Amino acid sequence: MNEVRRLLPGKQTSSSPISKERLVERGFDRALDYALALEPEEIISTVTKSGIKGRGGAAFPTGVKWSSVSKAEGSVKYVVMNADESELGTFKDRVLLEEDPLGALVGLVIGAHAVGAKKAYCYIRGEYREVEQTLARAIETLRHGGWVGPHGVEIEIRRGAGAYIAGEETALFNSIEGKRPEPRVKPPFPTTKGLWASPTLIQNVETLANVAILFAHDLHWFTAYGTQDTVGTKLVGLSGHIRRPGVYEVPFGTPMQEILDAPELGGTVSGSGRLGAVLLGGAAGTFLTPQEVKNTVLDYPSLGAIGASIGSGAIMVFDDTVNLEWVVTKLARFFAEESCGQCVPCRIGTKRILEMMETGELWTRTSDLRALGQAMKDASICGLGQTAPVALLSILERPELRHHA
Amino acid sequence: MDVQKSAMETTVAARLNDLVRERGQLLPALWRVMEEYRQLSPELLEAVSLFMDIPYAEVYGVASFYALFENASGNTPMYVCTDVMCALQGAESLKEAAKANLGTKVTVHESACLGQCDYAPAVWSGSHVLRRATADDVTAAVEAITHE
Repeated sequence: MNEVRRLLPGKQTSSSPISKERLVERGFDRALDYALALEPEEIISTVTKSGIKGRGGAAFPTGVKWSSVSKAEGSVKYVVMNADESELGTFKDRVLLEEDPLGALVGLVIGAHAVGAKKAYCYIRGEYREVEQTLARAIETLRHGGWVGPHGVEIEIRRGAGAYIAGEETALFNSIEGKRPEPRVKPPFPTTKGLWASPTLIQNVETLANVAILFAHDLHWFTAYGTQDTVGTKLVGLSGHIRRPGVYEVPFGTPMQEILDAPELGGTVSGSGRLGAVLLGGAAGTFLTPQEVKNTVLDYPSLGAIGASIGSGAIMVFDDTVNLEWVVTKLARFFAEESCGQCVPCRIGTKRILEMMETGELWTRTSDLRALGQAMKDASICGLGQTAPVALLSILERPELRHHA
Repeated sequence: MDVQKSAMETTVAARLNDLVRERGQLLPALWRVMEEYRQLSPELLEAVSLFMDIPYAEVYGVASFYALFENASGNTPMYVCTDVMCALQGAESLKEAAKANLGTKVTVHESACLGQCDYAPAVWSGSHVLRRATADDVTAAVEAITHE
């Protein structure tokens, strides 16, 4: 009963995901006709009232972002769909684009109209080749409808080439510009200086899909799910020791335990059948103990109270036989390899953490790890370096997880 | 050697002919060459540099940043995800299976999370994904490429 399908098409949906019929079946043609006839301020006002927050991990209020780009000075503006989904344990955007590629694209077209952009990019990771082809065909469908093209917005797909850091918004701009995808120092923020130093609206796939379903219906319909803090539904990706791995759409506020156990969602823990820990939000996420899983709901205040966040919506499940030191060592290796090397705290910090993990010092050098982690959080240029120690520090806060070692 | 080199430059230029020669098209240009040659050797990067009118050092700096452009052998790459979720489901044995019957046409790369965790363990051949892959699937895929 907790699975909802709004972002994901209902199971009775029969049309091809890239067809004109799908546009009609999902109400997206209606959304486009309605939104594109509005004044940009009216669109932005509706998005602001909807309470949509960014779904890429930072949960920034979408309406505020749209308003900033709209007001920013500049005759040329851009919109970008960030489909460079490379976070560990994260595959929700892939599933969303496989099942309903037109939704996010419709959100992108509406976003372009709202901020006054004539050019849009879809930046998709190079490993999602089959999804990229689906996306290209969906863009053609919108072109035939006249929404994409010289009289609407031009959409170009940009294929990444295997760089986790390119998903960071300013690194992504550098990638599109043909430079090394190294993050830029912020401020200035993308809203004023993004692609080619022009005001740029960049949003995650799932955020744009939320915009599409908002305009396909209305505020009343959109706000029927969620909590006081966060309206709507969230895609979560369940993987690891879980009977039904996959992407599920659940209202904000759904108990974490139900997400794991409900027969139509995770269907309970597999492996040994006993939960050891959950890694929530990706490689830079937070480890939760079984007790914490029992006591929290999928919402920012509830998880924030225990120092966790929803992040990308990745829920990685480990049974009680998994040595979490092994997991943390793998994460450390990942960050050391993916650090772009531009700034010292991240370049050196990720290496030092990896060395300490490889020599089994997780539980013996806790104060060193905390000091190093703090320095990386304080001094790294971008989110990668700032969050690389987060999962590690979260396990240090939860010594009860040590018995797995 | 010079004749060969100019032949390569000509081929690369033909492949990139309809691209606008501006910096923003460098990544698409590199992809086109990569798809044709399955590698980005110094000679190929030189040809891209000449065609795009971007200094070699800049082209090299960009190309060498990306993991999917690392394939010095020029073989068909096979990416075995050995990240956490796939490792839990036996990715290590897939890597061994892939390496066991390798031959000379395939190169196995270990990959970070491929975003296929719901179908772990996953292997990506550069064009399509083997989901819930078994050692037999991987062996069959390597053989299929070998006999292409």
